[in-house]
Amino acid sequence: MSASQSAVRSRAEAVKASRTFDWLILFTVFFVVLGGYHIHYMLTGGDWDFWTDWKDRRLWVTVAPIVSITFPAAVQACLWYRYRLPFGAVVCVLGLLLGEWVNRYLNFWGWTYFPVNFCFPSNLMPGAIVLDAILMLTGSVTVTAVVGGLAWGLLFYPGNWPIIAPLHVPVEYNGMMMTLADLQGYHYVRTGTPEYIRMVEKGTLRTFGKDVAPVSAFFSGFVSIIIYFLWHFFGKWFAQTTFISSESL
Amino acid sequence: MKILKDKVAKLSFVALLITVTAAMFYVPTASAHGEKSQAAFMRMRTIHWFDLNWSKEEVPVNDTMTISGKFYVFQGWPETVDKPEVSFLNVGIPGPVFIRVGSWVGGQLVPRSISLELGETYEFKVLLKARRPGDWHVHAMMNVQGGGPIIGPGKWVTITGSMASFVNPITTLTGETLDLETYNLGNTYFWHGLWYSIGLLWLVYWARKPMFVPRSIAVEAGKADSLISATDKKVAMGFAAGTIAIIAFSMASTNEKFPITTPLQAGLLRGMKTIEMPAKTVSVKIEDATYRVPGRAMQMTMTITNNGDSGVRLGEFNTAGVRFLDPEVSVDESGYPDDLLAEEGLTVSDNSPIAPGQSRTVQVTASDAAWEVYRLADLIYDPDSRFAGLLFFYDEAGNRQMVTVDAPLIPSFI
Repeated sequence: MSASQSAVRSRAEAVKASRTFDWLILFTVFFVVLGGYHIHYMLTGGDWDFWTDWKDRRLWVTVAPIVSITFPAAVQACLWYRYRLPFGAVVCVLGLLLGEWVNRYLNFWGWTYFPVNFCFPSNLMPGAIVLDAILMLTGSVTVTAVVGGLAWGLLFYPGNWPIIAPLHVPVEYNGMMMTLADLQGYHYVRTGTPEYIRMVEKGTLRTFGKDVAPVSAFFSGFVSIIIYFLWHFFGKWFAQTTFISSESL
Repeated sequence: MKILKDKVAKLSFVALLITVTAAMFYVPTASAHGEKSQAAFMRMRTIHWFDLNWSKEEVPVNDTMTISGKFYVFQGWPETVDKPEVSFLNVGIPGPVFIRVGSWVGGQLVPRSISLELGETYEFKVLLKARRPGDWHVHAMMNVQGGGPIIGPGKWVTITGSMASFVNPITTLTGETLDLETYNLGNTYFWHGLWYSIGLLWLVYWARKPMFVPRSIAVEAGKADSLISATDKKVAMGFAAGTIAIIAFSMASTNEKFPITTPLQAGLLRGMKTIEMPAKTVSVKIEDATYRVPGRAMQMTMTITNNGDSGVRLGEFNTAGVRFLDPEVSVDESGYPDDLLAEEGLTVSDNSPIAPGQSRTVQVTASDAAWEVYRLADLIYDPDSRFAGLLFFYDEAGNRQMVTVDAPLIPSFI
């Protein structure tokens, strides 16, 4: 067979080869993104995502969406401009959550015995679905960044509230009031994570009284817009084929 | 050359196999907390733990034990470590093998960070509930912001029973009693499972159609717009609308189910109650101090002045949790960890009672293998080669008096 001859002999074979190639790429993308995105998110979101007593209404709401919109924006850019495939954000979050659950279950619980109800990951899926849907429906980076990025920040807290609300029920404990999440942090000893390391409820956002989560979410959404643009262009740059000479294609 | 390369490759593979096999079959227990690795000056010149007591050496799962005692926040706190203005009373255990049911400093519950004052002594207690069976090294510990964990003495405690029987019942302010060990677990799995399934559905919708090669060809050919059909758009709108609807519904139902929730509690506790220590009637001046490396012994020349009204004798030198005792004056009856206790480790050139008003210069030797075992001798490699510790004097009635010492230490290698 010469180099100019086709490797397949019929349309059926071509379709089969193409589908095999699809699954190979999807499998590879999924696990490469899982690894990269997981490391990135653990380094930047870290403890906010690890522990329930870090999942507050100010900093967790602000930080987690900002640092997590990165890979979805970049992978969206690649999959959309090269293939018109609108599942970049969802595939990233599916990978991240699988990696996180494996880590939390096998390491945090299986290895060090922290209860899973104390160290489960944050839910990023609602924002990812909306981000992909907006990109597909509008086909516009600007609209996706502005509307999708804002939605990414805004949907984060309500998307997680059904999971964390039961842990924000108050408890009277030896004369002090705490939430159940605070109590988990106090009970389940972390020698390397003393209480003062927690970055929760800090800041000067006091004008809004107790309704601070929406304000934090809006702020997070605004910054997510900027980060979306930045990482979208990273993704687009990485997805170009100018690295490969035309002869080798 | 090729033969050489093949050999290197083969040997590397064999080495890798041996390493992996060794790692699989030789798994020693990592049971300590690196306390011996912490810089000696940190342990000697920051928090001095004393009068420690571990209430039990064996605890069944669900039963409790306490670590209690006192700690002195050293007046000569080293410049290279941040002062304990934000600190947290912790316990050094390998993960949550116990849960911390309560911790108190000066009688006040301290679930949060506290501010400590230099030169003050505090009483503390930590109540632990056994959770995971095994033999565990249980330390008192103080985390200091900017200074790191300052680990105190540790003692081996055995937990017996089965972790499966562990329960952690809590009653909330809304009147519900729950087991914090498993509470909310089903709810967490449900919501994560639901959202993951929705995400998978979105992926499957696209993955069931040809993906990369044909779509890439179409995009390259300028037919990108033909790749998104009207059905695709409807499906996308359905997913987006469904997502918003689920969020709205779940928020509403959650707020209905949990009408009373509060934010996470945080903040620094100040004004911790200190212990009024007995007024000092003994003063000590260190004339010189040397550490004799071959003999594992520290020798101090000190002038002791008794300004009290009863004769006093030196009974104990305590540094970094290691206790050197003169058995004629002081005997441990608290069950202090053997490895930290030199029951006959303190020798005083003349330890007859120092009469009221008398000054005496004596040679004090604190010798024990603990200097090496606990790597306190490494002090000579620290950036601030000063030693510090607590001296305990006893008067004729058996009353104890604590005096701190802090002086340069000169190593002797011969």
